[in-house]
Amino acid sequence: MYVIDPDNWEWVWSGNSLRFLFEGFLVNLEIALLGIVLSLIFGLMLALLRISGSKLLSIPAGIWVDVWRNLPLIFIILYLALAVPSSWREAYGNAIPDFFPEALQNELVLGALLGLILYNSAVLCEIMRSGILSLDRGQQEAAASLGLTYLQQMRFVILPQGLRRMVPATVSQLITLNKDTTLVSIIAIQEVVRHGSSLTSANFFGGVQAPILQVFIMIGFFFIVVNFLLSRLSRRLEIRERKRTGTTLKRVRGLEDQVAAETDLADPGR
Amino acid sequence: MSGLWEVLTEHLPEFSSGFFVTFRLVAVAFVIAIVVGTLVAAFRVAPVRWLNLIGGFYVETFRNIPLLVLLFIAFAGLRRAGVPISPWVAGTASLGLYTAAYIAEALRSGVFAVGKGQVDAALSLGLTYPRTLRLIVLPQAFRTVIPALGSLVIAMIKNSAIVGASLLALPDLLKEARQIQSETFQTTEVFFWAAVGYMILTLSATFAFRYFERRFEIKR
Amino acid sequence: MNREPRWRLIAIAMLVLAALVLAACGDDEEESSDEPAAAAEEFPADTTMAEIQEAGTITIGVKFDVPPFGLNNPQSGEVEGFDVDLGNYIADRLGVEAEFVEANSDNRIPLLVDGSIDLILSTMTITEERDLEIDFSEPYYVANGDVLVPGGSEIAALEDLSGQTVCTALGSTYQETIKAEVPDAQLKLVDRYSECLELIQTDAVDAVSTDNVILTGMVIQDDTLELLDLDFTTEPYGVGIPDGDTEMKEFVDESVAEFIDDGSWQETYDEWVGQYIPEDQIQGPPDITLEEALKLFPL
Repeated sequence: MYVIDPDNWEWVWSGNSLRFLFEGFLVNLEIALLGIVLSLIFGLMLALLRISGSKLLSIPAGIWVDVWRNLPLIFIILYLALAVPSSWREAYGNAIPDFFPEALQNELVLGALLGLILYNSAVLCEIMRSGILSLDRGQQEAAASLGLTYLQQMRFVILPQGLRRMVPATVSQLITLNKDTTLVSIIAIQEVVRHGSSLTSANFFGGVQAPILQVFIMIGFFFIVVNFLLSRLSRRLEIRERKRTGTTLKRVRGLEDQVAAETDLADPGR
Repeated sequence: MSGLWEVLTEHLPEFSSGFFVTFRLVAVAFVIAIVVGTLVAAFRVAPVRWLNLIGGFYVETFRNIPLLVLLFIAFAGLRRAGVPISPWVAGTASLGLYTAAYIAEALRSGVFAVGKGQVDAALSLGLTYPRTLRLIVLPQAFRTVIPALGSLVIAMIKNSAIVGASLLALPDLLKEARQIQSETFQTTEVFFWAAVGYMILTLSATFAFRYFERRFEIKR
Repeated sequence: MNREPRWRLIAIAMLVLAALVLAACGDDEEESSDEPAAAAEEFPADTTMAEIQEAGTITIGVKFDVPPFGLNNPQSGEVEGFDVDLGNYIADRLGVEAEFVEANSDNRIPLLVDGSIDLILSTMTITEERDLEIDFSEPYYVANGDVLVPGGSEIAALEDLSGQTVCTALGSTYQETIKAEVPDAQLKLVDRYSECLELIQTDAVDAVSTDNVILTGMVIQDDTLELLDLDFTTEPYGVGIPDGDTEMKEFVDESVAEFIDDGSWQETYDEWVGQYIPEDQIQGPPDITLEEALKLFPL
């Protein structure tokens, strides 16, 4: 049968093919990591704006978040790739430290990263907001009665607890982000999908034919393994958090992976 | 160089054609997702171990794989293997099967919300397992998962853009926008209207599902 | 606190660390093997060329999936092809190394305009519309429009494309040309030509239309496909230069002229194109000027 025919899998152990593919995959992981870190920072800022008492801050922040969450990520990435001003690109090119991998040194990555960050910071903002809001109001009142200022309350009482709760949900979001990094292939960044396409058209140079079905099954396999591990991690963290504090986290609307994660906990048999 | 409004009026046929392709893509995929998702959920909650495993395998595969990779496999990969699948079928099937994994999970959580007691009662009354599912469990489960379904429809609207951008080359809203952009070079104006198009879809879905939620709310 | 979940955390952390380390090590082996020429021309300090020389590398946008002009070779990790060789030639004249970035029909002009790349060498046809956004060098290659069909197809002429599905790249000249010549043809637009090849090989489209050299590259990969030899357009390729940079244009024009004069053009052509096409179709260097080329694709 075509799918398991050994001839079609020969490319795996001949030449540099598998390594080439794997190198591309590493680029995806790197972008995902960098993306989640930066998204967390901006997401936190947005969340603070949104929960602040001042309407002047929370309403525009709310609109901002809603806009980005309702647009397709690939749309955002494509737009930014075509429309990011050159001065920003240069600044990025200079700012990124040399020890970062070569693929990230490329200025084009900025458009992709910006897109990922704009979208994911909005999502993470909602996650964090939910975490903070799920805290017992009593916590804030107690902190206030102890004489702490708003900032101190936030820093020492509310945020540490609220954000802790959101770690499992964040790991879940990392899974989605991981999958979303494949979208940057559309703007010509050399990651795994691009490398996969290159492999299939490279028998111009002779060598073993790498059929597209097998190559992409392999790519799918890379993702399934990594994401599966991450989802297990997320579940573990959530169960631990639950045991510790006895609370269930409020679910944030509109997040595919949150929907799925919720079920794992509800299932008594697992 | 035309202004913002002119860009819309000059290219209205292309924009609306793309808009409706996206709409049809999501609609068909949604039907596939519900049907397959329900089936997989049934597998997952069945008291038969190997059905659980199959369901579990399905969910883990389709949840962890990127949609773009799935599209390559479903379209290019299958065609290479000799299956003459059309871009439309490959696109709707991929989007549908991908979302089905999430629907299956949402339904599972809905099922647990129903409560074991009801299932036991039904079984003790002599109902077979499939009938229990069909008459007692699933109807209630569906109602509790309406909010989740709403989120997933919005996710599908967004993911439909990936289908268009892949090598399936379906002329959806994003593809039409890019085509217009490559001819007029007015990036911001073109993408603005495409964004409006997507927001019309997502906001309609949001309101529609809020309505359904209220209508089918289970008053406990 | 449970001990058990810890190892998973550690496992994942290690996986990630290993990945980063591997990536960092991997980069050392991907360095360009080009050596800059020993003696290079000096340029006045305020020219782009001098800036490039300071930086030590020139960034050139090429195609990564279009043999024989630009193809990313997975075995060597390098991009190779006619455009790449010309790019290296220009870099050598500057005494710098060339860095190649993927530039498709869709994004190459935005990349040049915003400074991400210094030059475009991406099988780019000279048109007046593009000339509004960027500058072109004198033509360095002349291709012709053609159509590719599966062996045994009934399509023999341009009109036969009516009602058929035709694949070409988003942003290419063919997007508009086909719409004008055969309005009934169903255009399938993709991001890059390798996708067109995939589509025609699996019968998902009836034909592919683009420059004959690009189509030749596809036939080389799959000899069941046929070229129709229609030559229905003339497509002179030019190097893309930032708008208004007259010194750069002068420099590139000189480089192209030298490339042709010192025999490098013919060598490169023979290596990448000549050996794959029938004898009677082998051509020499282009003899069309930029002015004439612009007239071929007026606004």
